[in-house]
Amino acid sequence: MTTQTPTMPLMSDSGISRNDDVLLEFDEVGFCYPDGNAGLDDCSLRIMRGSRNALIGANGAGKTTLFQNANGLLRPQRGVIRHAGQPIDYSRAGLRRLRSEVGLVFQNPDQQLFSASVREDVSFGPLNLGLDMETARQRVNAALKAVSMEKFADRPVHNLSFGQKKRVCIAGVLAMRPQLLILDEPMAGLDHAMRSELLAVLDDLHASGITLLLATHDIDFAYRWADRIHLIASGRCTAAFDAARLPDNAAALASAGLPVPGLVELHRLLAARNVLPADSAPRSIGDLIALLNMTVKECQ
Amino acid sequence: MLIEQCAYGNRWRSVTPAAKGLFALGAFVAAFAARQPAMAALVAMLVALTTVAGAGIPVTRFLRIAVPPLGFLVLGCLSLAYSLDLQAENGHLAMIWLPSGWAPIQQLAARSCAALAALLFLATTTPMVDLIALLRRLKMPEVLLELMVLCYRMLFVFSEALRDTRTAQAARLGYATPALTLRSLGSLTANLTLQIWQRAQALNIAALSRNSDGAFRFLEPDYANTRRDVTIAAIAGLLLIGLATGMP
Repeated sequence: MTTQTPTMPLMSDSGISRNDDVLLEFDEVGFCYPDGNAGLDDCSLRIMRGSRNALIGANGAGKTTLFQNANGLLRPQRGVIRHAGQPIDYSRAGLRRLRSEVGLVFQNPDQQLFSASVREDVSFGPLNLGLDMETARQRVNAALKAVSMEKFADRPVHNLSFGQKKRVCIAGVLAMRPQLLILDEPMAGLDHAMRSELLAVLDDLHASGITLLLATHDIDFAYRWADRIHLIASGRCTAAFDAARLPDNAAALASAGLPVPGLVELHRLLAARNVLPADSAPRSIGDLIALLNMTVKECQ
Repeated sequence: MLIEQCAYGNRWRSVTPAAKGLFALGAFVAAFAARQPAMAALVAMLVALTTVAGAGIPVTRFLRIAVPPLGFLVLGCLSLAYSLDLQAENGHLAMIWLPSGWAPIQQLAARSCAALAALLFLATTTPMVDLIALLRRLKMPEVLLELMVLCYRMLFVFSEALRDTRTAQAARLGYATPALTLRSLGSLTANLTLQIWQRAQALNIAALSRNSDGAFRFLEPDYANTRRDVTIAAIAGLLLIGLATGMP
């Protein structure tokens, strides 16, 4: 039986192949909270420009601390954080520039949204950048359009659903035109339909050239969606690998207390029974079905 | 919530808040300028009619919103209707019915009704968001506006937190007896106090991440036909004042 690997996006590592420079780099960063809790411990991480990154770790592993360090909300006591090759400048002007280029979307929308209406909230960031009203208005409209929330621009925030609030949060950061968008567990609390909608938004943002870094607990989702997977445990990035190479990193996943995605297990089983080639590695159920259909056709 | 529903669901939702504010201001002035209680009552009726027939606020909903403030008005009128008098000859307290006659009561009731109608017109046709934007345009101090924005937003966040906590307490028999109710209310207060503090801190961090320097700056909404609507509102307001003062 001959099989052929389909030429589909499933094998692509678009971000990394498209552009090879490092947008954000954590170099042995250590951060300790005032109460003595270690947030980050010699944490090293590299985010390539234009890539889709998933940061996976248990609760309390340091994901939010890492994100707040990346946005300049927290300042590490040890190590260096570089943005676009330069160490972060913690002066007022430096932070202003950093926060316009590294946008952070918080996990709980009610933590981020504090204005009365959607339009007002989205305009908060651009106006803080010192933009004039007209430019800010254009950016707000574009950001709301990017997350398909333009119809809700004049609605009060409390009348929105949870998923809609999340999208407004993303628009609020997008309106600042960041190069890197960091999302703290964006899929948490969303139903299947909302997740699909949010995923479509993220895909569009990535297609427009924005680098994405999101925290998630969902290894299946990370395997399907990301270009790079970073594992974090006890404030330290324990492993980072191309998502396509995840099947080869089962040991790293196990040490972080994570299972191998069910799809990988299934593929291994099918490969062991010579139904599918061992090197095909589908990243989603859709890919697997396409691969099986192709195999069946070839057999016929 | 009733007011909120009306403000977002009325026919004049898209009319500039400047026009609605101007008409309400005209009605306020008319209420206080009315020479006769009957004139003030007429102003109240006209403004209420405008709210119901013009903006399309359902009568029942309008009345439900008006009942609580009208209750306070009745109490105010009662305080004018009765007076306590310490009698000099025997030192007894005596209750006097209508010490100043009906006139001040009629005046108070009619004027208050007209002012209430003006306020309800504005509140039921203009969302809080638009009102805040209007006040910003009228150069109200930023600190007051920021307080209004935060209070308005937090009102809904905390009513949700309050509801959730109360439900969780009730599900575990927290309100089964008066003693338990008292205890649950105490822990509810303590819990919400902590939540308020945490929420304030979280909001500050989120604002900082979007380059906040302390001041809140927001985009103002655009309205079509602003000039036309403001002119109509100004004429209507002047007509009300003219009617109330008995000008020809």
